[in-house]
Amino acid sequence: MVFFFLLSGLFLGWSFGAKDTANVFGTAVESRMLAFKRAALICAVFVTLGAVLEGSGPSQTLNRLGVVNALGGAFTVALAAAITITIMVKLGIPVATTQTLAGAIIGWNYFAGRLTDFGSLATIASSWLIAPLMGCVFAALLFFIFKRYLDKTKLHLLEQDTYTRYGLIIVGALGAYALGANNIANVVGIFVPVTPFRDIHLPGLGSLSGETQLYVIGALSIVLGIYTYSHKIMKTVGKQLFRLTPITGLIAVIAETIVLALFSSQGLHALFVKMGIPPIPLVPVSASQIIVGSVIGIGIAKGGKNLRLDMLGRISIGWITAPVLAFGFSFISLFIVQNVFEQTVLQPSRYSFDYATLTQMKAHNIDIKKMYMVNGRMFDKEQTIYTKLKNDAKMQRQDILTVIRIAEINEFTVEIAKVRKQHLEEDLTAEQLQALSTLEGRKYRHRWQLKNDLAGLPGWQLYEQPSTTLEKEHNKSLETRLDKLARAFLTK
Amino acid sequence: MAILLKTTKVIEAQIDQFLDIVSDCALLFHMGVEDYLKERSQQFEDRLQRIRENEHKADDLRVHIERYLYEHTLIPENRGDVLAILENTDEVIDNIKDSMLQFSIEAPVLPDEVHDLVLQTAKASAEAVDHLAMAVRSFFRDLSAVNNYIHKVYFFEREADQLGEKLRRKIFSLEIDLAHKSQLRWFAIHLEKVSDYAQAVCDRLAIYTIKRQL
Repeated sequence: MVFFFLLSGLFLGWSFGAKDTANVFGTAVESRMLAFKRAALICAVFVTLGAVLEGSGPSQTLNRLGVVNALGGAFTVALAAAITITIMVKLGIPVATTQTLAGAIIGWNYFAGRLTDFGSLATIASSWLIAPLMGCVFAALLFFIFKRYLDKTKLHLLEQDTYTRYGLIIVGALGAYALGANNIANVVGIFVPVTPFRDIHLPGLGSLSGETQLYVIGALSIVLGIYTYSHKIMKTVGKQLFRLTPITGLIAVIAETIVLALFSSQGLHALFVKMGIPPIPLVPVSASQIIVGSVIGIGIAKGGKNLRLDMLGRISIGWITAPVLAFGFSFISLFIVQNVFEQTVLQPSRYSFDYATLTQMKAHNIDIKKMYMVNGRMFDKEQTIYTKLKNDAKMQRQDILTVIRIAEINEFTVEIAKVRKQHLEEDLTAEQLQALSTLEGRKYRHRWQLKNDLAGLPGWQLYEQPSTTLEKEHNKSLETRLDKLARAFLTK
Repeated sequence: MAILLKTTKVIEAQIDQFLDIVSDCALLFHMGVEDYLKERSQQFEDRLQRIRENEHKADDLRVHIERYLYEHTLIPENRGDVLAILENTDEVIDNIKDSMLQFSIEAPVLPDEVHDLVLQTAKASAEAVDHLAMAVRSFFRDLSAVNNYIHKVYFFEREADQLGEKLRRKIFSLEIDLAHKSQLRWFAIHLEKVSDYAQAVCDRLAIYTIKRQL
């Protein structure tokens, strides 16, 4: 049954493989610079490598939007997204997997009576605007650089053709890698908190964690999509908005790869932080939208003629329709799966407003006096708490979210064995692991209690008022590790 | 990098060789007409023979280049255009050979009064073909220079037209038989036509250049 649930994730992977990989190799294949078989092979290898080696960064971001805490829920959410994508693809509207999935996750949040973290949504949604815009700017800049270079070097047409061909292969491979790293979160990221896989020990080679196995299977479903359906979609890429030549195609793919790498490379992220530059969030972005932005950039650089603005309108409609449709599908199918098929689509949560939680809230500068209508009570729906605090206590949404996160009950025990089992010790320093070991066997009722206990120990100190990028990133990185730890301890 | 370009370098060299032949044929045409006028018949026949050999070589090169481009799916976007350019340029060589051959077969008697105009028309036509070869070479290497050469081809084609017209008027104003006039008229047209072919190739080349621009 557990593996049946994963099928919807694989369906999503298939649709992603068919649709998004076409954006990387579409122009190369369509302009006959590269045979489909070779393009598919390169794409399959590099998407898999990207997914397995660097896939965990953006997964964390999508989890912040909403943690679907039951396998049945994850199945339904992924299915709703996959169906939406398939419909949109059939209608010929380019659509983003991330947006669709975000719509479906918010559908789950509404169904489960949970609040959507609009902060995370804003981070993700802003990337949907910024990523194509960056693609547009990079492509236009690259266009001028290429033009200048070609005018200056006076390469022979045949040499130019050879370089373009190899360029398309190399950049395509890098693009496929970045795509795998950035978008595997879309395919199986939602299953990460509920992974059904146990660790596999490979003698002499180490072991494969449950999360990595999920990424491998997700990548395989993408590969299946590449081989079975992407050829059809490749034919339309590069013709929809503007006819691309092999060189302009190469420019578009380079721009796309740069943007994808900026949004998915943990190495680049760390480098930016080190240099004190505000880092680009590790968010799954849409390859379809970046390529649209890049093509528009090239079109503008060429003087803006021949750009099919009607197609741009169609694409914009897709940007709005896809998440809304996925939200509706997700909500309705969750209802059906829960009530008709009697499957668990969400784990019940409880929220307690007792002395401990209220003290913690006070420490977060929350005025607990005006929360009299909830104090001392237990709740099982975030929405109920939200309505009460919003209407009666007139509290701000962000404060209510903080209150809810503090009140949420997550009972767990610190077990270092679980940390080792899920290979989380690789993320921790020796000092952090040592500090964590001192809490072995300690039981907690709330996640923040573990955070408070660790805060006094070496390696876990947070900046109280972070001002620099480095300090902010330090806090963010510790929060992410704590989140992963709590999730590991919660696993049955 | 050199390994990557090993095969393309061979084809590049063959394209250059093909264009060298076109340029050679233009010069041979001009010199051949001059030989004919100066009654150096053996030298004229030698030049015709060299043009014939060049035509064969150009045919072989063109077929080899075309086959190679298709077999190795090179320049898929521009392949059709490149093949059209090579084929049409090859026709210019054929045309030069036909004109020279006509001189050899019919051995027309050219009165002294038309010698200068005949030579000028042949020179203008040869210049048009020579600049066509340069335009095609630039199409492969330096797009920005193509229009310059195309402009020159058009200039020499117009020049050849005007000179050809003058030549025909001169022929029909001479005190010779009508049959002789009629024969010479065709030779004037033959000389002009070489530049017309060069211009026709340039018309297409101008479009292909726009298509090739980034």
